[in-house]
Parts: sequence; C-alpha cells; structure tokens
Amino acid sequence: MTASQLQDAGRAVTAPTRLIRARDVLSSEWTKLRSLRSTRWTLGAAAIVTLVLTAVVAESFAAAPGSGQRAVPFDRLVTSFLAFAEYTVLPVTVLSVLVFTSEFGSGLIRTTFSAVPQRRTVLAAKAAVTGAAALVIGEVLAFACFFLAQAILTGKHGGLSLAHPGALRAVLAAGFTLAACALVGVGVGAIIRHTAGAIAAAITVVGLLAVLCLALPAPWHTRLGRFTLPFAAYAEVSGHQPAGLLSPGLSLLVLAAWPAAVLAAAAIVLTRRDI
Amino acid sequence: MHPPLPVLLVLALVVAIDAGCLIDLIRARVRHLPKWAWALIILIQFPLGVTAYLVLGRDWTKPAVPDSKPSAAGPGPAYALPRRRKADPVVIEVDRLTKRFGSVTAVDDLSFTVRPGMVTGFLGPNGAGKTTTLRVLLGLNAPTSGTALIGGRRYQELVRPLHRVGSLLDATALPAGRPAWSHLLAVAQSNGIGRRRVREVLELTGLETVAARRTGQFSLGMKQRLGIAAALLADPQVLLLDEPVNGLDPEGIFWIRKLLRAVAAEGRTILISSHLMSEMAQTADHLLIIGRGRLLADTPTAEFVAGARHDVLVRSPRAAELAGLLTAGGAGVNTEDDGGLAVTGMDQAAVGDLAASRGIAVHELMARHASLEEAYLAITGASTDYRAGSALPEKPAAAVVR
Repeated sequence: MTASQLQDAGRAVTAPTRLIRARDVLSSEWTKLRSLRSTRWTLGAAAIVTLVLTAVVAESFAAAPGSGQRAVPFDRLVTSFLAFAEYTVLPVTVLSVLVFTSEFGSGLIRTTFSAVPQRRTVLAAKAAVTGAAALVIGEVLAFACFFLAQAILTGKHGGLSLAHPGALRAVLAAGFTLAACALVGVGVGAIIRHTAGAIAAAITVVGLLAVLCLALPAPWHTRLGRFTLPFAAYAEVSGHQPAGLLSPGLSLLVLAAWPAAVLAAAAIVLTRRDI
Repeated sequence: MHPPLPVLLVLALVVAIDAGCLIDLIRARVRHLPKWAWALIILIQFPLGVTAYLVLGRDWTKPAVPDSKPSAAGPGPAYALPRRRKADPVVIEVDRLTKRFGSVTAVDDLSFTVRPGMVTGFLGPNGAGKTTTLRVLLGLNAPTSGTALIGGRRYQELVRPLHRVGSLLDATALPAGRPAWSHLLAVAQSNGIGRRRVREVLELTGLETVAARRTGQFSLGMKQRLGIAAALLADPQVLLLDEPVNGLDPEGIFWIRKLLRAVAAEGRTILISSHLMSEMAQTADHLLIIGRGRLLADTPTAEFVAGARHDVLVRSPRAAELAGLLTAGGAGVNTEDDGGLAVTGMDQAAVGDLAASRGIAVHELMARHASLEEAYLAITGASTDYRAGSALPEKPAAAVVR
C-alpha cells in the first residue's frame, strides 16, 4: 500500500459519509425536550395530581359499601390506574402534540429542517425521544400508582401484590400505554401542524373515540370499541378479561398499531408538503 | 414563574370537580347511572382536563423587556474565526426555477448564479419571491419545476448541511421558552457540532452574557444576532440570509456589514435578501433584482449605481435662450414645471461656461443624482404586488434628491 493510499483510507474513515447521524439528531431533540421549563412544570403537576387522585380513588373504593366483587366496573387493579388514565395520559399527549406544533407555530421547524433535511429522521428522532421519555415517566408513575393504591386497599379489603396474576402485566402495560399515546401525539402534531386542531385530533384518538363507541347500541359498542386505545388499555390492566374485549395480547397489538399507523401517515405527509 | 393565583384556583376547582365525579362514580350510586351519563361525564372531563393543562403549560413569564441592545449585545468583536481549510468555492445555481402555490406563481422561471468571494444582494419588493427562492434553495419547498443547486447538489444531498450552508430565514422563529444557549446547542448537535463552538459563536455575536436568557425575552436585534450565530455555527462556505439587517440598530448594521465583508473576502458565497436598496448598495457587491418572481436585473452594484440617471439643473432668467444654446451644444434639455432646465449629456462646468460665454446670468446650477431608490423603483415599479393606493403621487420617483 502506498503512502497516498493510506492517506486516502484515513480520510475516508474521518470524513462523515452519511448525510446525517441518527445519534446527532437524537441528542439535538433530547436537548430540545429537556430545555423547556413549561414541560417540567406540566409533568410535575401531572404527577402530583395523579398520585393524589389515585389515593382519593383508592380511599373511596375502600370505603364503598360492599366493594370488592360487587363494584362491577372497578376491580382492584383498574382502581390503581383511574387517575393515571386521565391526569397523566392527557397532559403527556398534549405535550407530545406540542413537540411538532410548537415548532410549526413559531417557524422554528424551518431551522430544524434546514439543519436536518431528512424529515423522516427528524420525525423518528422526535418520536423516539418523546416516546422514551413518556415510557420512563409512565412506568415510574404506574408503579407508584399501583403501590399507593394497593397500600391503601390493604387495610380494608386486601391489596394486591405484584405477584398477583396479571398485576405486573397491568402495571407495565399502563406505562406502555402512556408511550403509545405520546407517539400518537407526536404523529398527529406532525400531520395537523396547528396546535388547537392537533390537540383536538390527538385527544379524539386517545380518548374520545372510545367514548363515542360507548354510546353505540349493545353489541357494537364493544365490537368497535375494543379497537380503540382506552379499551385496549382497559383490557390490559383489568384483572380478569372483560366481556367483549380483546385478549391482553391482542390489545397490546392495538396499543402498538395506533401510534404506528399515525407515525406512518406523518412520515408520508411530512416529506410531501412544503414547510 | 408560576401561573397567577386565579388560574391556579380555577385549576383546583376543575380538579376538585373531577375528583368528586370519580368518587361519586365509585360509590354505590354508580350502577344506577345509565351509560349515556357516563359518556357525558367523560366527554366533559376531557376538554376540561386539556384546558387545564394547556393553561398550566403556558409560559407565564413576563413579556419581553423592551430594552434590548447595548449593555447585553454590544458590538460583537470583529469577525475572527480561525481560518480553516482553504476556501473551496461554492457556486449557487438557480436554473429556470418556478414555484407555484395554487394559482399564485411566486417564482417564475428564475435563473441566476451566485458567485463566491463577494456579497450578492437579492433585492425585490415584498412578495417578489425572494423568500420562496431561498426556501427552495434550502430544500424546504419543493420547486414546481427547475432546479436550485448549491455547489452542484440539491440541499437535501449535502452531508451535514450546516457545515456547508449557514442560513437565516426568519430571525423571530425561535422557541420562546428555551434559553438561547439550549436553542443553539440543539441546532449544533443535530450536525455534530460541539459545545465549544456554540460558545464561540455566542461570543462572536456578542450574546455570551444573555445566553442563559430565554429567547422570548430577546429584542428583535438580539434575535437577529442569535439567528446569525446559528448560521455561523459550522463556519460554512455559503451563507443565505433573509433580511439580516431587519431590526438591527445602526451599530448592529455596521457590525453585520463588516462581518459579511470579511466573510466574503475569505472566498465564501454570500446571498442576502433585502427590500431596502440603500442598504444593499452599501453591503452588496453584486445585485440580483427580482419582481413578481422574475429576474429584473443581474448586475454589479457599482454598475447599477453608475447607470442611475443624473443630470444638471440650471435656472436662468433667460432660460429659453440658454435652452437653445445647450441644445445646439449637443445636450438634451427638458424644461421642468417650475422653469428650471434639466440638462443631460453635459456636465455642470460646461453648462456654466457656455452660459458665461454668452453673458447669460445663471441663478442656480447643480448636478443632480437620482437616488438608488429611484433607479430601483424604476426597475421594480411595474412589478410591485402591493402598491399604495392612488392617494400617493403616481410617480414616487419624482421626489428628486437635491
């Protein structure tokens, strides 16, 4: 090998060969996510409200006359996640929507896309960072909610331990649901671009679709409803499989399919439109 | 910073109502509630919850401090980056570029070349297509037809584009809640640029003392500097700046002019857009003037300035006689409304000598230069999209500089 060949080889190693490095974009998005003070504020408030309301719910469940088997819609597992379903899932979904819409609103998205013209890479990085953060927050809070609620129930009706069949699955699935909702939020934000509209759409997917299904006549409310996120999550966290809903395994698929579909649509839309 | 008390109270109320609903649901009465009532309660709760979190998540800081400039963002040090690799000249080529938005043609068959080693001014009235052209160059907008290449490549094909092209499209496009430092860092990281360099460009633009402040509190001038800092992050060979002097104080304008000159002298390629002719005349070496998406002029600034109209105004009690003499002497003469003679093709001295040789008294004799604005208006006049109504004089160019 001649000296010049060696030199060439050295250069080939040092010069960046790929258009953009995934790691760079990820660290950039992570910086963006953690440098907003309002995010921390909202998440902190959400965590506190969730824990307080979980305690309230557990207390009142424990105090309910003849609770336990007779309180049909609420088994002891589901009780742990009632507050989580609203006061954690909603704010996290909204924050995830803002990941894109805030950049579109301020015009910052042009800076982002001129730094990284590979728009799908940006989408993937934002989704990965937001989804991972939501997963961590979701799992931590889900465990906290579970232990808190069960500790309160222990005195009255006997709380569950993690070893109880289905308990661990329920807790893990609750955290995963939060990540799924966050990813839906990111994707919807990329598609709709305007904060108000995107939040309305994301909340529809994350919650309202299920409510609308509830209003359908008898067999149909579960036949359609079981494919919505809240019902799938419900099937995951309830101790015994509720009638008409999908099995926990299939529900997990539903939980994964929604964000996958929304993000795929976002990837298509994002590359086709002008910024 | 926290939200004001009333907001917190409303929030607490919402939470309390919600908690009440939940407790109510769980107590025995729940089973008597029909399904639609459940749906109603949840339907109401969702918007309430979302509103609450939006309110809480808002940025509750006081609005921007109107003060802005001097103390914080003084005149940055002169442009002094380590001169790295030998300049490897990059040419920007726009070839038969057309961009339509629905029925509106923003850029119409536009072709031009931007050469390295000088500052090229991209000039045109509002809505002429400057920004659209820049957006196409940056790969943000897809051209309807034609190409826009930087160094022979489309922007999307550049390896870590910030190392090649620095751009500033809209200085106000900043994340209001994020500190300037974090914003720059996020941009830098995406292209593998380190923290040291972020600190350097903050110093370079005189923003190091306000780096921890959130960009929402910045004045327009500081935002411009921050935008320029972002453009300079990777010491790029090409700079594309959209209206970079908007909102800068005179000191800032002087600073950026010096900076652009220094950068251009290093053999870099610089395209800056503006709708201000006078500004461009002082900053740019070469002018690209467009109107309604078409190229109107592609000329060195000096030539454009030289080509502007100039004549000699002379007043005399024997104007008619003098006019005859001047015409006979080969000059073009126009009698103006107030009786003055506008003489072209003969300079001041010659006009004076000629009058003196016939003993004609001259009351006023002066050379007049049409301003650059006039020359610019003469070119773009026909192609302005948004023109002031007829309340204004038909020919704004008639305001001759004396």
